[in-house]
Amino acid sequence: MRYLGLLTILTVSVMGASTDVVQYMNELETAAKRENRTFAGFDAARGKEIFTSTHIGKQGKAIACTTCHTTNLAHPGKNDLTGKVIDPLSPRANPERLSDAKEVKKWLKRNFVDVYRREGSAQEKGDVLTYIMKN
Amino acid sequence: MKMVWTLSCSLMLLAGGVHVYGDDGHEEGKTHRDAVVKPLSKQDIASAALYQKECGACHMAYQPYFLPKRSWEKMMNTLGDHFGTDASLDPQDQKAIQHVLMSHASKNDRISNTEGKFPLRITQTPHFLQEHREIPKKMVTQPEVKSFANCTACHTKAASGSYREREIRIPHYGRWE
Repeated sequence: MRYLGLLTILTVSVMGASTDVVQYMNELETAAKRENRTFAGFDAARGKEIFTSTHIGKQGKAIACTTCHTTNLAHPGKNDLTGKVIDPLSPRANPERLSDAKEVKKWLKRNFVDVYRREGSAQEKGDVLTYIMKN
Repeated sequence: MKMVWTLSCSLMLLAGGVHVYGDDGHEEGKTHRDAVVKPLSKQDIASAALYQKECGACHMAYQPYFLPKRSWEKMMNTLGDHFGTDASLDPQDQKAIQHVLMSHASKNDRISNTEGKFPLRITQTPHFLQEHREIPKKMVTQPEVKSFANCTACHTKAASGSYREREIRIPHYGRWE
């Protein structure tokens, strides 16, 4: 039992996410399989495309996730509207990232709407999280 | 340590009203006379910390006494489209923040903007417009400031609720005198 606990901690630290975020990823995976029968796991490359591509956002202007977060996830970003500094998204650079599922859900919902004018699908959310974990 | 900082900020946030217009010969105590400090309950302190965390993630957590109740009420119920961005919150958090904002809001519920409507933006309240009427546009649009919504860019102690004239440092221009 003790080893199981240790194993969980190791797995989580390798993935750079807390237990509840890993749990959330599992839920997303289940939902993604339901949404798409050919789903074969989350993909960081697809996540990168979602993260770096430009779209006409909620404000009617061209915007990407990188507009505020920049292309280097280990570096701080800046809120494009208010100028407020955003701490790095990378869990390696910023251990607070991906440590709270409630935060993760809140920001994924908001930011998909701001950039894509719709919420992300389970697969898209999982892909983006996978990309963030690897950076 | 971070928690202590958040709490002390929250207390200053709510208590800030006492010294907002405390000097500089501004209409002392006139506009915000009603921003009297109320004793804070545990719940208030927790909600103020939540306000700091959630709203302060994107911009300064503006002192609640800058807007009347009905402005905060409308704002907190339209967070899905918050000046063009999605700022939606968990319903429980939204309620707690709305409560703290409304219980420390400006008592002047007749505040209206130039179009006679009640303002959602602090920058469109008559008092704000009056106080900033002499500021040249170029000082505000420069990248270090971006807009009037960025209080802390020039009011160095805005986050703690202090807007004294002698604390003003406008990027590239310095003091405002």
